[in-house]
Amino acid sequence: MSIFTPTNQIRLTNVAVVRMKKGGKRFEIACYKNKVMNWRAGAEKDLDEVLQTSSVFVNVSKGQVAKKDDLTKCFGTDDLTEICKQILAKGELQVSDKERQSQLETMFRDIATIVAEKCVNPETKRPYTVNLIEQAMKDIHYSVKANKSTKQQALEVIRQLKESMEIQRAHMRLRLVLPAKEAKRLKEKLKTLLQVVESEDFDEELEMVCLVDPGCFREIDELIRCETKGRGTLEVLSLKDVEEGDEKF
Amino acid sequence: MGHTSLDKIIALQRNPANIRNLCILAHVDHDQDYLLNLIDSPGHIDFSSEVSTAVRLCDGAIIVVDAVEGVCPQTQAVLRQAWLENIRPVLVINKIDRLILELKLTSQEAYSHLQKILEQVNAVTGTLFTSKVMEERAEKEKKEEEVEEEEKESKILSGDQVYDWSAGLEEADDSQLYFSPDQGNVVFASAIDGWGFSIQQFAHIYSQKMGIKAEVLLKTLWGDFYLNAKAKKIMKGAQVKGKKQLFVQLVLDNIWSLYDAVVTRRDKEKVEKVIASLGVKVLARDSRHSDPKVLLSAICSQWLPLAQAVLSMVCEKLPSPIDMTAERVEKLMSVGPRRFDSLPEQTQELKRAFLQCSSGENDPLIIFVSKMFAVDTKTLPQNRPLTQEEIAQRRELARQRHADRMAADQTAAESPKMEGLTLKDSQPEEEDQQTFVAFARVYSGVAKKGRRVFVLGPKYDPAQGLSMMPEGSSAWDRVPAVPHLSICSMDSLYLLMGRELEELDEVPVGNVLGIRGLEECVLKSATLSTSPACPPFIPLNFEATPILRVAIEPKHPSEMPKLVRGMRLLNQADPCAEVLIQETGEHVLVTAGEVHLQRCLDDLRKRFAKIEISASKPIIPFRETVVRPPKVDMVNEDLGKQHKVAIIHQVKEASQGRPSDTLHVDHSGLVTLTTPNRLATVSVRAIPLPQEVTCLLESSTELIRTLEQVNMSLREGKSLDISPRTLEAIAGLKAQLESLLQGRKWRNAVEHIWAFGPRRYGPNILLNLVEGYQRPSLWQCLGRGDQSGEAGAQAAGMRDLDNSIVSGFQLATLSGPMCEEPLMGVCFSVERWDIQSAALPQHQDSLKEDSISHGALTDSRVEGSSETWTAGLCQARRRPQAASADCYGPVSGQLIAAMKEACRHAFQAQPQRLMAAIYTCEIMATAEVLGRVYGVLGKREGRVLHEEMKEGTDMFIIKAVLPVAESFGFADEIRKRTSGLASPQLVFSHWEVISSDPCWVPTTEEEYLHFGEKADSANQALKYMNAVRRRKGLYVEEKIVEHAEKQRTLGKNK
Repeated sequence: MSIFTPTNQIRLTNVAVVRMKKGGKRFEIACYKNKVMNWRAGAEKDLDEVLQTSSVFVNVSKGQVAKKDDLTKCFGTDDLTEICKQILAKGELQVSDKERQSQLETMFRDIATIVAEKCVNPETKRPYTVNLIEQAMKDIHYSVKANKSTKQQALEVIRQLKESMEIQRAHMRLRLVLPAKEAKRLKEKLKTLLQVVESEDFDEELEMVCLVDPGCFREIDELIRCETKGRGTLEVLSLKDVEEGDEKF
Repeated sequence: MGHTSLDKIIALQRNPANIRNLCILAHVDHDQDYLLNLIDSPGHIDFSSEVSTAVRLCDGAIIVVDAVEGVCPQTQAVLRQAWLENIRPVLVINKIDRLILELKLTSQEAYSHLQKILEQVNAVTGTLFTSKVMEERAEKEKKEEEVEEEEKESKILSGDQVYDWSAGLEEADDSQLYFSPDQGNVVFASAIDGWGFSIQQFAHIYSQKMGIKAEVLLKTLWGDFYLNAKAKKIMKGAQVKGKKQLFVQLVLDNIWSLYDAVVTRRDKEKVEKVIASLGVKVLARDSRHSDPKVLLSAICSQWLPLAQAVLSMVCEKLPSPIDMTAERVEKLMSVGPRRFDSLPEQTQELKRAFLQCSSGENDPLIIFVSKMFAVDTKTLPQNRPLTQEEIAQRRELARQRHADRMAADQTAAESPKMEGLTLKDSQPEEEDQQTFVAFARVYSGVAKKGRRVFVLGPKYDPAQGLSMMPEGSSAWDRVPAVPHLSICSMDSLYLLMGRELEELDEVPVGNVLGIRGLEECVLKSATLSTSPACPPFIPLNFEATPILRVAIEPKHPSEMPKLVRGMRLLNQADPCAEVLIQETGEHVLVTAGEVHLQRCLDDLRKRFAKIEISASKPIIPFRETVVRPPKVDMVNEDLGKQHKVAIIHQVKEASQGRPSDTLHVDHSGLVTLTTPNRLATVSVRAIPLPQEVTCLLESSTELIRTLEQVNMSLREGKSLDISPRTLEAIAGLKAQLESLLQGRKWRNAVEHIWAFGPRRYGPNILLNLVEGYQRPSLWQCLGRGDQSGEAGAQAAGMRDLDNSIVSGFQLATLSGPMCEEPLMGVCFSVERWDIQSAALPQHQDSLKEDSISHGALTDSRVEGSSETWTAGLCQARRRPQAASADCYGPVSGQLIAAMKEACRHAFQAQPQRLMAAIYTCEIMATAEVLGRVYGVLGKREGRVLHEEMKEGTDMFIIKAVLPVAESFGFADEIRKRTSGLASPQLVFSHWEVISSDPCWVPTTEEEYLHFGEKADSANQALKYMNAVRRRKGLYVEEKIVEHAEKQRTLGKNK
């Protein structure tokens, strides 16, 4: 063992440690803070900007470098750069505050964008702007969960927002064609699912144009498919029933 | 108006000859009394709309010019507005004291300075006049040309073609137009010191003193004349002979010596002498005051009182409503291109009523409302707190009533308690009520309270109205509905006295008044009349058009309805603000400029909406497209010969790109994608559409929409009645497309069009180039496409899934891969489409394909992979290895997702570009600020298309294009930089490809040398793209910290 003196040691500051267990052994590499997530996302392309040193450790804080034999045994190579890349891609690390903050911010925006896309103001049938939704989300103190998908959270947000403001999922406009025999029976069943029936035409078949909540679509689809044994049809006229074009006061 | 009682005003109102409706600036002791209606208007260019509304109601205008600053842009604007409305202006040159005290000019210099200002003002009037004459001439020529062309054939040999080179200016008389002191329409003043004069006053004084005729003095007091003292004669040519002009000698020198004595030298003795000679009395208090200005104004206000000078000019020079010229009446009454002569006879008769200006009972009532202004309901006269006098009166009445009742009650031997005699207003007032009062003027007849009138909208046509209504019908009758005509009653009439409103019962002709009760029928301006024959007046011409767009949002989202109501009120109250809701749900407020915007926001916050609001930059739309692969690189080197440099990130991309076995991209840009269940495969290629095709598709969206409807009903076996005209239009569209899509690449392309997108009518095309797949043609309604030749069973199965491909295409075009904005001008051609038939029977018996395809459509609409949105599908996914087909959902759904992904990858395989919305921008600017206009345009990525000089003026008209993204604050900047001499106008015109590649990184050696590894130079397209992505919460390729080494060291313990 070499002599451990202040003159021949290299001190690393601002270290972010990335760990990985492989082949029953633990390996660590020393990286710069706030850079690992960027590397994984592909924004940082220069490996030297990410790694503090290209050596692989068993324990970074103690400065114990991994043995070459272990490396070849576990990774099948002794190319340090290759091994570092593998650890960077798959290892676990403590996400820094800045990284987490920017991630949450992006997710927050994403949720707001999804909500704004899906919903309308029921009075004017016009969408809300993303800014307004973000403001509303802040007002209800919505906190983003990093481990749930944004779409899932968006649904949750819509439910919560309904309590504080006039908001509604944009309706889908459907056209149903039902064979005459089953029409009456089916209509009763569908009644609860249809929000607004815009037109109804009964001659040989029952033809209806109606607005429904997008959440009920699958149910309606299933109902019609099963009950009519494929003779009834369901057609989407528009996915979002919103006002088009600009309006001047 | 201070000492004039309301009764006297009402008495004066009855005689229109005594009325002067003025624009900017009281009651003088002349031989008779005059009633002056003064409308003051703000000077800032943003509020020039206020001037426009005021000018319409007036007969004359007082234009005030600063003696030091001379003619400013705003002065020009005001003069132009007065000119356009045909009203007579008079000039006041104010702040002459500044020439004496601040600039220290001698009287001689001051004279030439004043002369210069006068010339400037007259020059502006002159250009207005010449441009009008030019226009008239151009019009005349056009007509003549038409006539000539007919005549030419007959007398082509006559050789009588002498061209008239004179500009027509010689014939037109313009002597009455100009301001000149000897005409009596100019007053020199110093309002701060309280003096002002016109040369008549001095002519009057000196004619007595020197024994020269007043008329002669009047003519010579202004101009190049001097007094020959020996001969006691007034001679011409003062300047040449180096003599003092008469004006300097007789007028200015006196004022100068007064200022010199009183302010500069404070010569007590001299002051006393002056006071004695002027014959004015000065209070001892004033003469002892330490501030010489007090003494000065004490002397001046008696010697040359400002009010008298200005008011006498107003009364003498400005017309009364009776003197309204026939020309102005005709101009007011003929809307648009229609000439006055073409109006119906009854309408022409109204002109007489106009000119007579009579206020008889039977005369038709004509009122023009120029703007609506909001007043707190509390301050209306009927709701105002009572004055002491009135309270005393009412108390007396109440006491009497009480006494009566007491007397009556005594018989019943009951003593009621004394009631409190406090007076309360019976109606509980609502706190935040706003009432709109119309600012209007009676042009004919008498306005009476409660009278019902027709409200004529700007598009009302008297001929149509007359024909639809029974003869002699009035607003009291029930009349048939006529377009642009409504009926309402005038609830109250008010006299406008500054901020106060006085209620009146009737207002005779020629007066300015306020009317309540019109807010339902009048939005901003309107014409009111009792006769349906009255045409609507020409719309107000606004000097400044609204141009600054901001998006308005409430601080608290729940207050949205309040905001909408507030914005509606603002729209009505402000003649120059525009309010609109955009398709994106933004509430956009368009104002004339920053200052105007601030006032609008203040009004919204404090009066109309009463909520916290925030204004921000509006959302800027973009489009995504692909272009042909470039032949040269960024440093203009041929791409073909160079080696690509292998750079780190390229290697990186290759390794990071998902190694998926379902996706295959070949190097010609053909993308092949297999669905997750490996049953269907599509191959798609993205091709840029020629620009003309994109334009054509953009302009014919309506037609494509009908075409789509027709096809849909045909598919269902129904036949829709199509008018032959629509069919013709569709055939025309097809022919146009065929002529535009030529060349080997597009052979037969039009026949193979599968669909348009997004939303089935957008500017993108889906082409069917699948071999052996026949589908009913898009143009089948034209009857040309061979009616669905029966193909094999395979094709039939595929036709059921036809819809999925279209849906996938629609989704892909609705939001592109760059920043989720719609695509534009992209053609996706499907070159291969295989389906393993094994999967099909299984599905066909259980499901109706059409319906699921739509089911899946919604799923994937809800962002690609759809898990969470529909419970059913979600479950299907969680079940790990159920029936192999089921775990990926129905085939049609997978096909939609596959098609969408294939389109996106095909798009990305081509060089991608952003398209920016572009405004065309018209700027009027004078020659001296042309350079600065170009500077601002250049800075904001604008491009000048052409510039030309406006005939007869020194104004240039510049036409330029400017990206919408750069337009925020553009108008304001250009105004600031050119000190208001240039005013832009922006109109959306088209979409334009931004030439730089947002994803560009240096790839060739040359580029590498030139730009370095990272290419840090600003890339406009990338900037736009990242801004949009950040706004939408999409991933932006950006490092949290740029340099890892430069972060703050946290652990400092060693």
